[in-house]
Amino acid sequence: MTAGLNRTRRRPLKTALWYVVLVLISVITVFPFLWILLTSLKGPTDLLFSTPPQFLPNAPTLDNFARVLAALPIPKFFLNSIVAATATTVLNVLIASLAAYPLAKMRFRFREPIFYLLLATLIVPLQLTFIPSYLLSRFFGYYDSLPAIIWPGLASAFNIFLMRQAFKGVPNELIDAARVDGARDWRIWWQIALPLVRPTVATVAIFTFVTSWNDFLWPSLMLPTIANKTLPVGLAALQSYFSSDFRSIAAGVTMTVIPILIFFIALQRHFVRGLAGAVKG
Amino acid sequence: MTRRFSATPYLFLAPALVLIAVFVLYPIGAVVYYSFTSWDIVRPPVFVGLDNYQQLLGDETFWKALSHSIIYLLVTPTIIAMSIVLAIIVNRKLRGIHIFRALYFVPAVSGSIAIGIAWRFLFDRNGIINSILITLGVIHDPIQWLSDPGLVLPIAMLLTIWAGVGYYSVIFVAGLQNIPEELYDAAVIDGCSDFQKHWHVSLPGLRPQIAFVAVISSLAALKVFDEIYVLTNRTGGILDSATTIVFYLWKQAFVNEHAGYAAAIAMVLLVLTLLFSIVNVRLLERGQERV
Repeated sequence: MTAGLNRTRRRPLKTALWYVVLVLISVITVFPFLWILLTSLKGPTDLLFSTPPQFLPNAPTLDNFARVLAALPIPKFFLNSIVAATATTVLNVLIASLAAYPLAKMRFRFREPIFYLLLATLIVPLQLTFIPSYLLSRFFGYYDSLPAIIWPGLASAFNIFLMRQAFKGVPNELIDAARVDGARDWRIWWQIALPLVRPTVATVAIFTFVTSWNDFLWPSLMLPTIANKTLPVGLAALQSYFSSDFRSIAAGVTMTVIPILIFFIALQRHFVRGLAGAVKG
Repeated sequence: MTRRFSATPYLFLAPALVLIAVFVLYPIGAVVYYSFTSWDIVRPPVFVGLDNYQQLLGDETFWKALSHSIIYLLVTPTIIAMSIVLAIIVNRKLRGIHIFRALYFVPAVSGSIAIGIAWRFLFDRNGIINSILITLGVIHDPIQWLSDPGLVLPIAMLLTIWAGVGYYSVIFVAGLQNIPEELYDAAVIDGCSDFQKHWHVSLPGLRPQIAFVAVISSLAALKVFDEIYVLTNRTGGILDSATTIVFYLWKQAFVNEHAGYAAAIAMVLLVLTLLFSIVNVRLLERGQERV
């Protein structure tokens, strides 16, 4: 399964060296979080800034967490993020796979122009649209509510592009056979084509979810009221709220990061497979 | 083969096209218009012709922001090189290797704001990096990492790289696993060293993945905002030392309320991305064809 596999097992010294390398790399990737976690557990008598640094809290405490929870509605931020990211992902994948199917498998007059139009929008940085979209949010009346961040994220030319690549791989014989059996295009799309491109659906869904979950700039413009904020926007608010209270900021970051990590460790297999399949399309 | 007109394909496409028309095409048109106006978002825009563009030409901060965004693109080759090396390191059968792979992925899933705050802790004047360096005797006085105009942008870039490598290396691991084992065996028989083996077999085999990561990470680099926002505490750095094009766009539109001027900045961003994407889409299509 693994290409270029080393015969490390027969060489204990070499194996040990690899583990040293692996551990050193994980120190680099994990240390900032570990430091945040340790800081969040420190009480008022523990030193944050000292030379040499104090790593472990002498008197671990959860006070910082209580202080953050009393000041900011962290569970609400979570709920908002879950609702927004889930709605965006489900609808986006549905809309993208609908749009991609005829582009891959049907012949119609404006197919090429539509496809190139979509490709062209792929290029447009979303930030460019923020000023008019700000006005649109007033026009549609969803300013300062979750639909403000869901609606503009529903159509993604990139996802349509990936789905189209996948649908192209569906054998025409299958589609023709279904048509001979009397199936309509909608049924062929739903019952034959879509199940065959499930790996790409997973990829697209994962990319969309992560992007939506971590999105910051647009939600920060759209969600001024504290109770409406998503996690990243809430975290930024937390940072200014507790400005120099590092222990509380650390507690806030810890609370937001740990559930996401659990979520991703649970889904790691799917996550990696999706990401890995992205390139094959 | 003659076919009757069928509405079906258009019905499939309708939701996406309507959304794209409303949230992408209309805003682009509107931005083009606004870029010729003086406008504070609240009162109606006033047409001023090319004034905004003229002002841009003489705006030192704008040129700074533009150059910072272009410098920021250096993260892309760095990320690609480091991700491939990391992929080669983790692509071996060792006990517990999947735990390490998960650990390397942590920065990527934690979100830019959380990791930005974490990095502010590390690089604070009184932060742990200074304490460690002083303890080790490398420096005597703490370094002002985040308020030194020469250091903020590199630290932001480092943050982007740090968060990106674990993420993108997953793509390269998958690419490595698609390369037939026989190619490596043949390379070994031909007398290739470990390094040569990867240079002559892994790198060409990873071409589609390299193209893909180049596209994704360079577009992300051009649009960088979150890292700058958090690391500089919404200021863009002392003397705009970390202000990028999107940061400047945001600041002009939503802090200074110069929406017309910001629209002109947006047009520059559009042209910049356009140039990049023409190169990128070609790369992506070539990469896809080779799979």
